[in-house]
Amino acid sequence: MFASKRLSKELSKLHDKLPPGITLIKADDFTEWLMDIRVIDSNPLYQDEVYRLKFVFSQTYPIEAPEVVFVKDEDHPIPWHPHVYSNGIICLDLLDRQGWSPVHNVESVCVSLQSMLTSNTKQERPPGDEHFVKHNKQRPKDINFVFHDNQV
Amino acid sequence: MSSPEPIPPPNDRRSSRASSNASLAVPTLDNTREPVELLVVGGPPSTPSPLALRASNSPSSNRRKSRIAKLPPDVHLLEYLSACDSNLICLICHSPFDKPVQLACEHFFCRECLDHAWDAQHDAQKTCPTCRGRVDTTREPLPVPKIIATMLDELVVKCPNTKSGCDWIEQRVNVHDHVLLYCEYTLVDCPDFDCHLYITQKDFHKGCLHYTEHQRTTCPNRSTACPHCSVELLRLELNAHVKDICPKVIVPCPGTLVGCTVAVERADLAGHAKGCSMAIMAPYFRDQQARIERSEARLEPLSRKVGILEDGLSKITNMLYPPNANDSSFPVTNPLDPNSDAFTTAPLVPTPDFRLPPASFPPVPPSHDTSQTPLTNPTPPPFDSQIHHLLTLHGSLRDEVSRIANALTDYEGRTNMMIINENQRVKDEMLHTNAAINGMRMQLHWLVSATLQQRTGSTNSTGNSTSRAGGSTDSNASGTQGTNSNLGSRSAGASATLHLPLRRLSDSTRQNTKL
Repeated sequence: MFASKRLSKELSKLHDKLPPGITLIKADDFTEWLMDIRVIDSNPLYQDEVYRLKFVFSQTYPIEAPEVVFVKDEDHPIPWHPHVYSNGIICLDLLDRQGWSPVHNVESVCVSLQSMLTSNTKQERPPGDEHFVKHNKQRPKDINFVFHDNQV
Repeated sequence: MSSPEPIPPPNDRRSSRASSNASLAVPTLDNTREPVELLVVGGPPSTPSPLALRASNSPSSNRRKSRIAKLPPDVHLLEYLSACDSNLICLICHSPFDKPVQLACEHFFCRECLDHAWDAQHDAQKTCPTCRGRVDTTREPLPVPKIIATMLDELVVKCPNTKSGCDWIEQRVNVHDHVLLYCEYTLVDCPDFDCHLYITQKDFHKGCLHYTEHQRTTCPNRSTACPHCSVELLRLELNAHVKDICPKVIVPCPGTLVGCTVAVERADLAGHAKGCSMAIMAPYFRDQQARIERSEARLEPLSRKVGILEDGLSKITNMLYPPNANDSSFPVTNPLDPNSDAFTTAPLVPTPDFRLPPASFPPVPPSHDTSQTPLTNPTPPPFDSQIHHLLTLHGSLRDEVSRIANALTDYEGRTNMMIINENQRVKDEMLHTNAAINGMRMQLHWLVSATLQQRTGSTNSTGNSTSRAGGSTDSNASGTQGTNSNLGSRSAGASATLHLPLRRLSDSTRQNTKL
């Protein structure tokens, strides 16, 4: 109830106006939305690429963080970033249980990810990416990331 | 934490109701219910007996505590007429603040939203959702400034029942009262005991419309056959059908009113009524009956009015001709009669009572002792006619007036004489007084001049002696004194010389002693 009220307000606002580089793709219900983001400045790593984000909301949103991952298909690759695993899972404190705050919203998460990509210069995956991708069965929000890197 | 009581979801309503009220539980659908007593299948639940009510008086089965168990409007779902200032929007629920609170870091939230956000956090480590600053839960959250609350109260909203048809638009502060007290479109429990649906408040008095709807369209057993004519019809309409339409029902002849005892099926009634003289006459009789009743009803207030008028008339008569009219205390026929009792204590000029027409009474029978029984004879005196009465009244009044005029002239003459006499006396007295005053004035004048003369004489002698003594014996100081007194004595002497020739000197000593 609380989540749908809040999401309906967010949705009407997103329909109204969106920051540059962010597009609303699909928001048919209040459980799963798709957003496209694109890096606006001329970072050579992300030039001419559009990345697709999947938001999954729980009933307790916005008290609890949404689950946000990059989605890979023929048009939308997973961006190179030392905190983004090759299966699309994002290691960002904002999306973690501790880092999340109910004042964040879909738009602010998109903008955060956008700026995270913008400031990145390394074309690499997180350490242990292959192993993680192969063995991880947990849902993104149940993973206990260790936020060691405050550089990016 | 002090999180507000969550609003129960709709299916929780039953358990949230308090104990029921038997008087409210009585269903209101009497008409639709009756056929069920004949045919139980598919019928609505019947009125519960008092025993059943008592048995069902357990918390789980009771739903009719309050007739109207309305939910307060959810502020988060209100539709605002214009876009709200973004500074008044809660960052958690993204709608204008509802019961806002403030943290020490000056971030504002709805009370409810903040409690939701804090549910996930431990008591000791609660943080501000916006800035993640640590929150001292013993001190915070703080109340918001009054102006914030006022701005929120003044936001203009639409009624939450706008979709149902309510066009109420007003300040947000009033929406709670509007929805709970005034809005006709607020959903309330269906008045029917066993209906679990809602109904708008304005339809509450109509009873359970849901069941009627069910009976008309959806109930699989909604149609039945008339027990008399076996026509298929809605169970709902069976009663009306039997009462007014069904041709097979045995009904009495319309002439029953007049005494016809025939009772036949409705279809055959027309044939009977054509031949039955009583049935033909019945409408006329009914009309007559109604007319009589109307007349009687009209007669009632009229007779009451007559009674009131009679009372008033008798009161007026009493006032005009009091029962003690023959009492000798009224100076009637001859006010100047010295034998009358009324004048033994009266002054020389009698003061007749004008309330009574003195000459209008018939001669009093001599045997009637009026002073003994003044109240025994209240019968009004008989008159030949109204005009005669008035004429006698007029004559007596004229007499009275002329008598009073005479008395007045008499008084006037006497008073004039008295005034003239008195004036004369006063004039004489004034003359006397004037003369006395003149004498006194002359005496006073003489006394004053005499005193002045005596004074000048004495000062002249003393002044001369001191100046002579000062001049012979002593110095300048006394010399100046001497000149001063010389000056005074000289002026006094000058004034005295004016009057002196008129007075004899021998008188001076005697006047001194008097003063």
